Amino acid sequence: MSKDYVQQAGMNKDVRVDGKRVAGKLRFNPPGSGGSRPEMAERDLEFIPELEGGNEPQPAGAHLHDGLRTGTTVGKRTPLVDANAKVTGQAWYGDDIRLPNEIIGRIVRSPYHYAKVKSIDTTKAEELPGVIAVSTGVDAPSKFGVLPVTKDEHAMAVEKVRHVGDLVACVAAIDEETARQAAALIEVEYEVLDAIHDPKKGLLDVDEPIHWRGPYHIGSTNVQKRVFQEFGDRESLEDTTKAFHNGKWKFMGVNHGFTEPHAVVAHWDSNGRLQLYTPQQVPHYAHRALATVLEVPMHQINVIRTYVGGGFGGKSDPFPHEMCAAILARKAGRPVRITFDREEVFWVNRGRHPSHIEVKINANDDAKISGFEIDALIDGGGFASFGHVTSYYNGVLATAPYELGSFHYTGARVWTNKPASGAMRGHGAVNTRCAIEVGLDDIAEKLQVDPIDLRLANLLPPHSKTITGFRITSNGMRQALERVREGSNWDEKFRKLPVGKGIGIGCGFFISGSGLPIHWDPHNFPHATVHLQIDMDGGVTVHTGAADIGQGSSTAVAQVVAEVLALPLEMVHVRSHESDTSPVDLGSYSSRVTFMNANAAIGAALEIREKLLNAAGEMLDLPPEKLVLNDRRIYFKKDPTIGVSYLEALHKSQEDIGALIASGAYRTPPMGGVHKGAAAGLAPAYSFSAYVAEVEVDVDTGLIKCTDVWAAHDCGKALNPLAVEGQIIGSCHMGLGQVLSEQMVYGRTGHLQNPNFLEYKIPSVHEMPNVTPIIIESCDPEGPFGAKEAGEGPLLPILPAVVNAVYDAIGVRVNDLPLTPDKVWAAINKKMKREKIDDARDLPVPRLDFSELQKKLVKRSAEHKIRDARRQRREDEGPYLNGVLFGLDPTLPPEEQDETWKISVKPDSSQLDNLGLAGTAWTKKEQRHMEGGK
Amino acid sequence: MVGEEHVSMIPSATSKAWSADVNGQFREVLAPSNAILLDVLRDKAGCLGVKRGCDMGTCGCCTVMIDGVPRLSCLTMAHEVNGCEITTVEGLANGSHLAPIQQCFADHGGSQCGFCTPGFLVASQALLNNNPCPTEKEIACAIEGNLCRCTGYQQIVQSIQAAAAIHRGEADAVVSNNAAHSDPHPSGPEM
Repeated sequence: MSKDYVQQAGMNKDVRVDGKRVAGKLRFNPPGSGGSRPEMAERDLEFIPELEGGNEPQPAGAHLHDGLRTGTTVGKRTPLVDANAKVTGQAWYGDDIRLPNEIIGRIVRSPYHYAKVKSIDTTKAEELPGVIAVSTGVDAPSKFGVLPVTKDEHAMAVEKVRHVGDLVACVAAIDEETARQAAALIEVEYEVLDAIHDPKKGLLDVDEPIHWRGPYHIGSTNVQKRVFQEFGDRESLEDTTKAFHNGKWKFMGVNHGFTEPHAVVAHWDSNGRLQLYTPQQVPHYAHRALATVLEVPMHQINVIRTYVGGGFGGKSDPFPHEMCAAILARKAGRPVRITFDREEVFWVNRGRHPSHIEVKINANDDAKISGFEIDALIDGGGFASFGHVTSYYNGVLATAPYELGSFHYTGARVWTNKPASGAMRGHGAVNTRCAIEVGLDDIAEKLQVDPIDLRLANLLPPHSKTITGFRITSNGMRQALERVREGSNWDEKFRKLPVGKGIGIGCGFFISGSGLPIHWDPHNFPHATVHLQIDMDGGVTVHTGAADIGQGSSTAVAQVVAEVLALPLEMVHVRSHESDTSPVDLGSYSSRVTFMNANAAIGAALEIREKLLNAAGEMLDLPPEKLVLNDRRIYFKKDPTIGVSYLEALHKSQEDIGALIASGAYRTPPMGGVHKGAAAGLAPAYSFSAYVAEVEVDVDTGLIKCTDVWAAHDCGKALNPLAVEGQIIGSCHMGLGQVLSEQMVYGRTGHLQNPNFLEYKIPSVHEMPNVTPIIIESCDPEGPFGAKEAGEGPLLPILPAVVNAVYDAIGVRVNDLPLTPDKVWAAINKKMKREKIDDARDLPVPRLDFSELQKKLVKRSAEHKIRDARRQRREDEGPYLNGVLFGLDPTLPPEEQDETWKISVKPDSSQLDNLGLAGTAWTKKEQRHMEGGK
Repeated sequence: MVGEEHVSMIPSATSKAWSADVNGQFREVLAPSNAILLDVLRDKAGCLGVKRGCDMGTCGCCTVMIDGVPRLSCLTMAHEVNGCEITTVEGLANGSHLAPIQQCFADHGGSQCGFCTPGFLVASQALLNNNPCPTEKEIACAIEGNLCRCTGYQQIVQSIQAAAAIHRGEADAVVSNNAAHSDPHPSGPEM
């Protein structure tokens, strides 16, 4: 057989000009030929491999997985493995599942913000010809929720409806028209209650809290979760304050805006098992909730994840409509399909929390950040969702990348009568990050130093710990800042551009996988499991539960398997759709998939590799450690002509067992502190990013146009640079929407006014700036081939970068997102009146006159750069705890060195009078601590 | 819909024969006289590649070509385009051969979650049919009616530029080292 053997084409023998990827025509070397590169030299792991440019020292030192690199796919621009299905229209999303005999489900929703359901009369609907099944809350009384600690949702209202659009009943009929009519025929009697829309009112005692948590209820307020954290000694550091920033922020809620509306198909098969087709990011949690609500064991449910038309966190809760479809299908004995219209997507929401955030930052005479004080009141809407976690993330994810003298956080999440807020790309970190980074910009201005130098001189080094005890491993923050400074020509532009033009910087820090699984003890079960199976033909089937929601997780998993086994990507097939065949996986949230699933896949592939090497060793009579596996051949290191083909070795190893099967798993190492809430924000690795944005502001209208973004993101090692760049640019798009135009507008009566894409303004192609993605590869020691996350972290810096750039352009800060033209124009006008200026083009814009401190900062960051490089390469392996910049010993925990150092998670009585807005939630007692508590 | 009062039944629209050339094949189906083209294509003509994102012409996912012109099928009455030539995403490829625009979207990251992709492909193919040398501005104007939440449009514009080069005969399809494999039989619906 020739080297370029082409598998037989089908009927169509036309040759394409661009001919590749034609069905049945994959270009393959014939199996067992020995591949195209039968030789591979031994190489020095300390150096970048030849295949990537070669002979430079590895920036972060050698990596654990370097020995597994075969040059097959890792680090190469790889189109998504399911791209062909998507570009041909064959990808099957939720609404594309059409089962024989299907009927259409429709949901009856509450027209009231907050009401008791007195009675529901379904007789008229049931009598309508064509109606097959009707269901109400009595059919499914069990509560569910994504977090086991806050199960507060029902499939349909049991006692109360909690927001407009809350589910009350559902119907299934032969067609959509009949289902709509039947839904309108259901008569519901409500007793309307006083609704709450302002989160500030959620802090007060009311007669009828939206949920009741018994002895754990906080007073009789609507506070769902409150958090207090204090690290270090704020008061003593306040004395040395040279610059102080106090920013009060208002963030509107934003929606994920994925293009595919929710859809679900439920079908009880002939064996009485539920087959549920749903576009879920987290099929496993839906699986658990379905079992609870339907009262059937989990093994009698098969959750089939369809292609997901965008998730961004919005498809990660178990949803009541999934339960409704299953209940209706059980009643009807026929498959039921429910598809949302766009308005319903907004009623389900789970978008980013509307927030009131106050940030105070102290910097001392050396421009060290002596204190962060954050107070975040977040509006959770009608249900808890992921809110428990969000309440922590709003504070703790602001503790890096900077070294802090002290950290103080009070947070509260309240229930209001709005659609529930939940997890959205950059979960919980985005709004606070914006406030913090803008605060640092203000501090830099007050100290008259360059904000990039201010950051560079206050960074935590690699392999260190944050003030709250998060273990930071690789850290590419410094390179990211340096690269965007250079790329954007920052030093020539910052504070030097004319009025109306500006440039700004923002940084980001995000978890790469949550350190704590939601449903079990991390030490009992792994976070991710991957099964590999190779049959006699040599193709590899990968079974994983990782939900590909377009981010390319299937591609990443396939890539690492192909890399370790040195197989072309075409020989690796990922099966990840069904819970029947996939090992349990926690799903696609908290940017965990690449880190955890690819690590698990490497583990499984290693097992296969070992079996192949052993078999080849037996055939060649050589010890396996002297063999190399590459390009579908296994050969002797010293004499590559001695070897066997991949298929020969495979068949040898299969002699007794048939198919080769291996399983790999990943769990996070033990980490973190012991204080309450220490686990929130823990991750096996963290990503870092720095963006510079350039904007033009029309001073006459207040319209902002972001023209250029230089986006540097440290993703560890880019397994697939094409996908990483896609994530970076996509994050810019989504963040830009939040900062410039997107908002869920609730009217005077609390009604959502813009549940559609006409009025909810997602940036179009015309609003997109020119984004220059810059990938920083810090090569994480525990990541798969050094990789970390790239899905959520890149969103964080765009908000503050744009806000800071707007200040640079017009000298006015607007702390109310989105920066719509009306707000910006009003701020400009106010300033013009104050300064008595007639023409907006005469607005004074800020200028920078370097103070003495600037030199100090440049010197300090130069020193730290050397320190960081040494730590990144592990030349300095000593511990480094936050606090060194403030004179503490890096090896000892601060509380052992400093008597005034505090770690407290509850305010003491003297602090109660002095709390921020969200902090006032702590002035209430839990019912169990109240006299006569309920 | 929320708070929808019951309106007495509007008499059902009568069904009429609807015929069109869908992706090169003559199709004739019965469709209510008030049917929307999107519904007819998805439910009657089996073109599930045409996506429903918003139902009100804001997202562009349902874009199809009608006599060569890109139009939103969710805002088009089916009977208004009786007898027209309709091209959906399924009609872009030549048998199992991907069209250059499809190949380029796959190779350049123009498609992430893929839900908006059919609309973008049809809109950009319509552009390239008339204008094989579009400027960046012209490309932007051609896809301004399509929303994409994943890619931030940049890689979509690059994909269209690459496809335009192929249309002009200036380039073969970009050969990446790792051809993605097609997955014609995903572990799909179990009936």
